[in-house]
Amino acid sequence: MKRFLILFIGVAVVLRAFILSGNIFSYHTSISDREFRLVYSGEITTLNYLTTATANEFSLLANFVDPLVEYDRFGKIQPALAEEWTVSEDGLIWTFKLRQGVKWVNHEGKVYSPVTAQDFVDGLKYVLTSDNNSKTANIVYSMIKNAKEYYEKEIRDFNQVGVKALDKYTLQYTLIKPIPYFLSTLTYTCFFPVNGQFLKDVGDKFGTDNRYILYNGPYIMPTYEAHHRRILEKNKYYWDKDKVHIDKIIMTYNKEAGVLAPEMFLRGEIDHVNIGPDLIHEWIKDEKKKDLIRPNRTNFFSYFYAFNFNPNFPEEYDPDNWEIAVNNKNFRKSIFHALDRRSALLTEEPYEPESRLLNTITPKGFLSIGEVDYTELEALKKFSREDSFNVKLALAYKEKAMEELRGEVSFPVKVLMPYNTASRQWANRAQVIKYQLERVLGRDYIDVIIEAKSPTGFFDKVRNSGNYGLMELNWGADFADPETYTHPFKRDSTFSWIYLAKAYEGEGGYTIYENLLEKAIAEVTDVSKRYSLFAAAEAFLIEEAFVIPYAVGGGGYSASRINPFEISYSPFGATSGRYKGLKLLKRPMNIDQYKRELYRWQMERKGQFERGRE
Amino acid sequence: MIKYLLSRILQSIFTLFIVITIVFVLMRFMPVEGYLGEGYDKLDQVQKEIILENLGLRDPIHIQLSKFYNRLIKGDLGVSITYRPGVPVADILKGKIPYSLGIGMASLAISFVAGIKLGTVMAEDLGKMLNRLGNLYIILVNAVPAAIYYIFLQFYLTDIFKLPMLFYVDKPISWILPILSLSLGTTASYALWMKRYMADELNKDYVKLAISKGMPMKDVIKKHVFLNAFVPMVQYLPASILFTISGSIYIESLYSIPGMGGLLVEAIQRQDTPLVEAIVLIYSFMGIVGMFFGDIFMVMLDPRIRLGKSEGRV
Amino acid sequence: MMKNLKYSYWTSTIEAFKKNKLALFFLYTIIGLIAFIIIQPYLPNQKSPVAIYIDKATGFQLINRPPSKEFWFGTNSIGQDMWARIWAGTRMSLLIGFTVALWENFIGLMVGLVWGYVRRLEGIISTIYNVLNNIPKTIILILLAYTLKPGVLTIIFVMCITGWLDTARLVRNLVVIIRDREYNIASRILGTPGYRIAYKNILPYLVSTLVLKISLSIPAAIGYEVFLTYIGLGLPVGIPSLGNLINEGRGYITVASLRYQLMIPAIVLSIITVSFYTVGNAFADASDPKNHF
Repeated sequence: MKRFLILFIGVAVVLRAFILSGNIFSYHTSISDREFRLVYSGEITTLNYLTTATANEFSLLANFVDPLVEYDRFGKIQPALAEEWTVSEDGLIWTFKLRQGVKWVNHEGKVYSPVTAQDFVDGLKYVLTSDNNSKTANIVYSMIKNAKEYYEKEIRDFNQVGVKALDKYTLQYTLIKPIPYFLSTLTYTCFFPVNGQFLKDVGDKFGTDNRYILYNGPYIMPTYEAHHRRILEKNKYYWDKDKVHIDKIIMTYNKEAGVLAPEMFLRGEIDHVNIGPDLIHEWIKDEKKKDLIRPNRTNFFSYFYAFNFNPNFPEEYDPDNWEIAVNNKNFRKSIFHALDRRSALLTEEPYEPESRLLNTITPKGFLSIGEVDYTELEALKKFSREDSFNVKLALAYKEKAMEELRGEVSFPVKVLMPYNTASRQWANRAQVIKYQLERVLGRDYIDVIIEAKSPTGFFDKVRNSGNYGLMELNWGADFADPETYTHPFKRDSTFSWIYLAKAYEGEGGYTIYENLLEKAIAEVTDVSKRYSLFAAAEAFLIEEAFVIPYAVGGGGYSASRINPFEISYSPFGATSGRYKGLKLLKRPMNIDQYKRELYRWQMERKGQFERGRE
Repeated sequence: MIKYLLSRILQSIFTLFIVITIVFVLMRFMPVEGYLGEGYDKLDQVQKEIILENLGLRDPIHIQLSKFYNRLIKGDLGVSITYRPGVPVADILKGKIPYSLGIGMASLAISFVAGIKLGTVMAEDLGKMLNRLGNLYIILVNAVPAAIYYIFLQFYLTDIFKLPMLFYVDKPISWILPILSLSLGTTASYALWMKRYMADELNKDYVKLAISKGMPMKDVIKKHVFLNAFVPMVQYLPASILFTISGSIYIESLYSIPGMGGLLVEAIQRQDTPLVEAIVLIYSFMGIVGMFFGDIFMVMLDPRIRLGKSEGRV
Repeated sequence: MMKNLKYSYWTSTIEAFKKNKLALFFLYTIIGLIAFIIIQPYLPNQKSPVAIYIDKATGFQLINRPPSKEFWFGTNSIGQDMWARIWAGTRMSLLIGFTVALWENFIGLMVGLVWGYVRRLEGIISTIYNVLNNIPKTIILILLAYTLKPGVLTIIFVMCITGWLDTARLVRNLVVIIRDREYNIASRILGTPGYRIAYKNILPYLVSTLVLKISLSIPAAIGYEVFLTYIGLGLPVGIPSLGNLINEGRGYITVASLRYQLMIPAIVLSIITVSFYTVGNAFADASDPKNHF
């Protein structure tokens, strides 16, 4: 045993001397400005960009295949594979002139063939062939003529579908109805091209491996070992290669990235890492580390708390009682004003919860009329500018509600609030909100019951079946129009069934909210009027406390050699995951630099749009 | 004996059949949402139905089952549906098994040698310093959850020895730490059992006889005690070797090793039935074979034991 | 050399056990710990393990406060009292551990005896064993959590469904070894009924092994709970247990100032494991008649 110990120590010492002196076993510790290394914890399941609807997947895949148009760093649409386009008078026919000389290459960077208009037709055909199980087919068939019919096999001839290659470099789409935001949807992977011959050659294998897709975007992927690593290299034949500044991206998979990656960053093994809420405390206080981190930008996911008007939960939680209570406006308003959203956000943003606070359903910065942000339009102004948390108001509404509901409802009202056990943050939030609401309103009034639900079948089991009282829900934008954020409140959605709310009957058998919405949707010519009408409908939702706006997604902190203001800026589509246009910083940006850069970016963006108007 | 063997084999096939059938049926109880993945909320009803139909999930269960058996009889493990859609299950496993097997065998070899050495030393040294140190090691390894000490080792040892944090196939230096970490627990249990067997042997009369005859203690241990204690240790080796292919979820997650560890759990969570079935089939086969060998060993070591009712019934 | 002329198995076992001072110490540790976690909530100045404490001045949660006079073990990331959570978690984990250990060893012993002793049933029990042993528990756990809800009963149920298999196998192997020994064959030929042989000749032989097995199954069940939490199938964080306390603490492994949130539950778990392990081993040695002389 002693001998063994001595031997072990001996070996260790020798080994260490070896490594320190000779550096025989060198690994990447040198910092290069052409090579970017990171660790990721969510592996992609497929490279088939025509079928996936997973953000993680399409944002990687957008590096390999280019769309017709792309978003620049200010969120402006720029030509990509299409050089120019026209739209017909009636807004139904869009014609694109494609860039010539763009090439498909394989995973080793060898040229396969030129990119032509037919490739876009083949792409749509693949998406709309229902046997291919594309999860984005509905985006296509909600807009393109005869696409749904083809998808459901009512039409067998693809030539009848509204997409055509007029010649080698001219592509034409025919729409069902005029869609002012059609261009923005072209950045979705379902509109990406694919080479028909290649598709035929690889058959079922398409997209199952890096060898089984072709590349025409900024990067190719010569190495892909699932659950181990992927290596991206700059595409030498890329049409816009001057804008690709990073030559090589090494991505290493690690399931424990949240714990290990920050340390790897400190040791110089990687160039980018997210610093989660658990670590941020220590990093901000540490003299050396605090200059390495900067905030992340928020995204356009809107989180809100919704009151359920279709209670469908077990008797023990008293759904009938809930139904009466939730139909009382003062009851809803008391909770609306009692919810301290900052407290809830502290679980994720212990430093600046305000950066993620959202007072409307539509996020700030999503759209604007001229210089006026959508959330600052007349109808929404008063909500955007004021925090809904107000103890005095909450208690006043409580008193009114108790008076009105006396005898009809048994107090305390049970408020069933489920959460998904897969998300630790959500679990934490649920606990915080329970205690916070009960503290403000009193346990004589409400009894918040937080219920853990397993992630298996969560959507169908909880939200879609109305198995909750008050719950955190979210929605992300699909296109550049305020209508995209109204989906959760429409009659055919299974979010919170607000059309079942009593005493809100409007005209024509619809509710007041639906009437407001209808008016807004019908307005297709005057954009500013359209936006104002949508804003009025949204204001109605908030005023009547059908929902409590809460926060936007994203945020948090990163230690990174990337400048977040160089990334393609778009609330939807796939281009925001691209590395095109990014340069590696010599040292990571800190919080002050971030704030300066943010200001500069906002100014430049404003300037851009002003110039655009002239 | 041949008759007994035959009946055991038939019985095993029957068991495998029941296992995969139950697993198949259980997997069908999973909600449909899981087959459609992350984008579920953005799909419409038409799409959901078509995708589920294409996956064969809308067929009645007996048709699904018979399709599954037919495929399996032809030796086809099928194609993954959610873990890596479209990739043959056999290819996925072929890519992963070598990693777990390699790391597992290396660590098993180390544990076996080190554990037996440690156990022997402890038995010879009963009640003294080395024995106590050995005990301390065994207790510590068992007491501190592996999930914690693995990560501590990874953190501090990579820092002290300036090793890369993660595992890289092309950098052998990065293999050391995962292999050593993995062997800590097994070493402790080999040492523990070796010590027990040695202590039992040392208590036996033949040892006392040999010593009273004047044979040096060292020789007694070398020639008799060690060998007798070693035999039962070897008994579990085949099963241990077989099971290295299941990998370690902790080690593989921490070091980014693309092996089998946690694959079964993930396949179940993703509701990838063909992949789940393939893994269950492999593990069950190994379990049954392992148990079979265990029984055979037992009979071989102790001729008094009789298995099966056809023989040895008094 | 017998100490007492009248030999009593249990007296001798206890005598032998008492000689092992270390084991006695750990036995008192276990008893003390169990007594403490039972009375802890009724002690003065105790906080709730689930309530969230706020800073009166700002109205926000007291997040990640280091151990202090007010919060003896500090607070966690949402402002809950770690002292209360640790002991509530220990209570929960020990409850799970004891329930599962008792069940799996009782059922395991019964099945193992029948399996080893009744040759007619050997085939069918082997098949049941192999079937149950090879159906992944994860599937059952996921399905149960889906149809019922994630919670204590679900976890205990899943551990019990298959937990007894190991014990049954162990008992069966021991029985197979003993049953064909000459004295048992003799008893059988003399017409002693099977249950009597099992009870008088075989069971005593199993005691030491079983005691060890039981004492190891308690920490093993707790360890399994830690593992289930690690793969995301453990108890929801609203129900504190050592498993989810450790899992939450893992995130702080690099954060020196917050590492106490990992270390404290890990130390408690280690103490429990070491205690049961040492006591079990000592008791197994003591209950072996060979060591009574």
